[in-house]
Amino acid sequence: MVSSRRPRRSMSRVLLLRIAVVLAFVTLAGQLWRLQIVQGDTFRWRANNNRFRVLPELAARGVIYDRQGSIVARNRPRYQVVVVPEDLPEEEAEQARVLRRLIRLLETPLPTSETASLEQTLPVTETTSASIAPALPSLEELEARISEAAQESIFRPVLVSDNIPRDAALLIQEESGNLPGIQVQVQPRREYPGGALTAAIVGYTGPIPRESVDVYVEQGYVQTDEIGLAGLEATFEQTLCGEAGYRAVVVDVYGREVRGIGQPLSPVPGHNLVLTIDLELQRVAEEALRYGLQAAYRRAGVAIAMDPRNGAVLAMVTLPSYDNNLFAQGISAKAYAELAEDLDHPLVNHAISGIYPPGSAFKIIPAAAGLEEEVITPRTLLGDSERLDGANDGVIWLPNKYFPWDRRQDQPFYCWVHELGYGHGRINVVMALAESCDIFFYQLAGGYARFEGLGLEALDQYAQLFGLGQLTGIDLPAENPGLVPDAKWKRQVYGQSWVTGDTYNIAIGQGYVLATPLQMLNATVAVANGGYLYRPRLVYRTTDANGKVLQDFVPELIRELPIAREHLDVVRQGMYEAVNWEHGTATDAALPNVAVAGKTGTAEFFIDRNQDGWPDRDAEGNLPTHAWFTAFAPYEDPEIALVILIEGGGEGSQAAVPVAVEILQAYFAPEESLEFMGTEGQPIEPTKPMDGVDHGQ
Amino acid sequence: MVSRRWRHFDYVLLVVTLLLIALGVVMIYSATVNTPELEDLTRRQLIYAVIGLGLMGLTAVIDYRLLSSLGLVLYCVILGMLGVVFIAGQVLMGAQRWIDLGLSIQPSELAKLLTIIVLAKFLSDHEEDIGRWRYVLMALAILIPPVVLIYLQPHLSSAIVLTAVGAVMIFVGGIRWLHVTMIGLAGAAAVPVLWFSLKEYMQERVLIFINPQSDPAASYNIEQALTSIGSGGWLGKGFLHGSQSQLGFLRVRHADFIFSVIAEEFGLVGSLLLLFLLFIMLWRLLRIAEMARDDFGRLIVVGMTTIIFVQSVINIGMNLHLLPVTGIPLPFVSHGGSSLVTLLLGLGLAQSVAMRHRKIEF
Repeated sequence: MVSSRRPRRSMSRVLLLRIAVVLAFVTLAGQLWRLQIVQGDTFRWRANNNRFRVLPELAARGVIYDRQGSIVARNRPRYQVVVVPEDLPEEEAEQARVLRRLIRLLETPLPTSETASLEQTLPVTETTSASIAPALPSLEELEARISEAAQESIFRPVLVSDNIPRDAALLIQEESGNLPGIQVQVQPRREYPGGALTAAIVGYTGPIPRESVDVYVEQGYVQTDEIGLAGLEATFEQTLCGEAGYRAVVVDVYGREVRGIGQPLSPVPGHNLVLTIDLELQRVAEEALRYGLQAAYRRAGVAIAMDPRNGAVLAMVTLPSYDNNLFAQGISAKAYAELAEDLDHPLVNHAISGIYPPGSAFKIIPAAAGLEEEVITPRTLLGDSERLDGANDGVIWLPNKYFPWDRRQDQPFYCWVHELGYGHGRINVVMALAESCDIFFYQLAGGYARFEGLGLEALDQYAQLFGLGQLTGIDLPAENPGLVPDAKWKRQVYGQSWVTGDTYNIAIGQGYVLATPLQMLNATVAVANGGYLYRPRLVYRTTDANGKVLQDFVPELIRELPIAREHLDVVRQGMYEAVNWEHGTATDAALPNVAVAGKTGTAEFFIDRNQDGWPDRDAEGNLPTHAWFTAFAPYEDPEIALVILIEGGGEGSQAAVPVAVEILQAYFAPEESLEFMGTEGQPIEPTKPMDGVDHGQ
Repeated sequence: MVSRRWRHFDYVLLVVTLLLIALGVVMIYSATVNTPELEDLTRRQLIYAVIGLGLMGLTAVIDYRLLSSLGLVLYCVILGMLGVVFIAGQVLMGAQRWIDLGLSIQPSELAKLLTIIVLAKFLSDHEEDIGRWRYVLMALAILIPPVVLIYLQPHLSSAIVLTAVGAVMIFVGGIRWLHVTMIGLAGAAAVPVLWFSLKEYMQERVLIFINPQSDPAASYNIEQALTSIGSGGWLGKGFLHGSQSQLGFLRVRHADFIFSVIAEEFGLVGSLLLLFLLFIMLWRLLRIAEMARDDFGRLIVVGMTTIIFVQSVINIGMNLHLLPVTGIPLPFVSHGGSSLVTLLLGLGLAQSVAMRHRKIEF
């Protein structure tokens, strides 16, 4: 019934089908071989990459204590909500639902009992505990932020809200099954109970600056880590940061942790710092300085206290200050701009970064140099006299370099006492220090008539020996070396040659010489302790998390000054007389129960705040002056040395000395220190600087 | 008589069929065990399998030749069903493929089977004339309306499968090579026209296949499938231990990408075993085609073979990144009731052909 030709044709075509089937299956099997065997390792790596995540476990940052064990910096939990774009639902409607729900959860007002009780534990400054209300983004903002971040990396968590209350964090965590892509992270937040009181010392932490992320990541940091950005937090970053641990986990496609694998590597907490700072003394110094500033109608000043036996800094106050808690919580751009644009630079530690003409506080250096170089002896008399220029009136006349014969071109150099209508006369070095005689030091440094002075070179050499013009090496960032000028420097900067008058000015801490308050304190300490220049230190010891001491305090000598003890003793005596002799400039600093030695300074400076192109002067045409006072006590065996600087504060003896007095009183009579504000609280009249080139009082 | 017929029932084919279904059920379980909203799928697949196997037995008993008289009726049923879908089908995933009859069913699956029967009937009636151009065109005229209706649903991949099946049947039915060439050329000329009529998401799929890097988000599925398969290695990661499937990185893993689950959890050995089972099934079916007592039976079996073959190759080829991503399930293995039941019905027909094959054997 069927022809034989037809079936044969369809049979042969079925055979073709068989061939096609064989070919297709061989192709499929070949591709399987290629994928599973040849490229198997690549795909296994990819599959592992999908499911394994290594999660860093943050190490607790070290705690910072003062020398008595009070906490200066510690950690607090801080809850953050982040979105991982990769793990969000793909469908837009579903994604919007998740985000909307998240915003709802964040909006829900919570009982404040938790946060309130937390705040009660934070004393000291009022601004410390001001919790920053987390700003909530709208759905649109959030979506925009996520899609923007997703263009860089879909795996990188996007911060939605920081510092959220703990209750909200718990609520979100409870619903996490319903909120794919949403994660609550617990980050430690740095807290500074001392706030503004210790901000300049402790500094603050914050997110790694964008431009140096790569550098830190290379060192093993994670991009979201916080690092020390200022103060000790920055210098001791390596000590404080600890070592992050790691935990390997298996995650599902939504990034949810399914289980942990292997042994987690626990983080090693950072080491703790115990400071040389005594918080009690720091507070006294701050209040004293604040009070001194108030009395002088000024805002900026510095007070530093140091143990002259080892260089340990006992207190370091720079005003105005700022609340470092603001930075730890993430400072707003507006608050930051306010701080950064403040003309008194609260973000700058004036104690180490501010450079000022040291004024007469500098005179200890030419005094020591003159004795050691045998330019003078303790009995050498220098100064103004009738025999010299016809009148003991506190003025000497320096002949012009190019027209020495023309007396009309002589340049007058005044002693501060000239204002009072007389001169100090011819006096020895001890009296010159005590009375802060400028003419003595002009002549000692620059020579006069037949008396051969030290000369610029020797003066500079001793200034540098005492640590000026170089970093003290204190454990804080952003130290300024100051300036010890020489002839070459003046030629380069001003294109002029050095003249004797320049040397005169330097001798009394004016002219071109610039120093930080800390440098002046260090130089004073070297006089007080008989010639040991120490590196100033803020950290007393480091301990591990269990309190075991890792590194104890060892004083670090910068150098032993090549100055005979007897010569330094003469300088010491000069400082003693300044306080204790009736003609001394710092007689207010004398205390009944302890022998104090000190040196005042009143340093003219140039500033042009009204921007008229000329240095600002007061109504009588005088330049403003910084008030300085350096001191140490007890005289015989010094335990504490101080430097006080009131920027633009007028006379050292009037503006700076009272601040030192209050600190010394508190230090030597701790039980009375608490009331000193009440008993000594008479306002001091602001003083007018005096006429003339120098106000060396 | 009846018992003698059962002697010719293809038991090898039956065993292979059962093994494939069992593998499918087990893999669907693995693919859905960690996904609460898909947990029900294993049970449902089992129910479909039981229904399908019952229908297969029933179809095998009935003489397929009884269908030859129903040609016109069946054709009307096809067009009617597809028409209903086109007009009243519910909108799902942007395409109208389902009819809600208590259960959602996909008429295009059944339509494929019925089209095979109608086409087989026509080709076997006109086996003497198929060398003539007019009859080729008539065969195409039968094939094109259901293809177009399925394409308009729109269900591109099913339309492609049906076109391939029709083409193979006409080819085996005895078309001349000259006509094959002419139709091939005409088809090539139609490609640009077809391209611009494709829905955007379909064009996208083809483009992503050609250049997977063009859209990282859209090529995610392929990439994860490749990762799943490649990471399986020789023996796989073990049942329920495929990280890609169990942790949800692999998408649509119970249906279109079930092959990747098998390859990940059972490795090269497991996937080759699956290929082997499919190969045996096709081989046995082609054997039945060769033994068939008449062209009608032969062409029905060839059509069924082609459906299984084309779908397997398209699905596995897609998993292996040899072919574009299309929504074609893996026959007998992927989850899907309509597909499974229809395929088993088709196998029932094939068995029916086998049981009534020519007396003269080798």
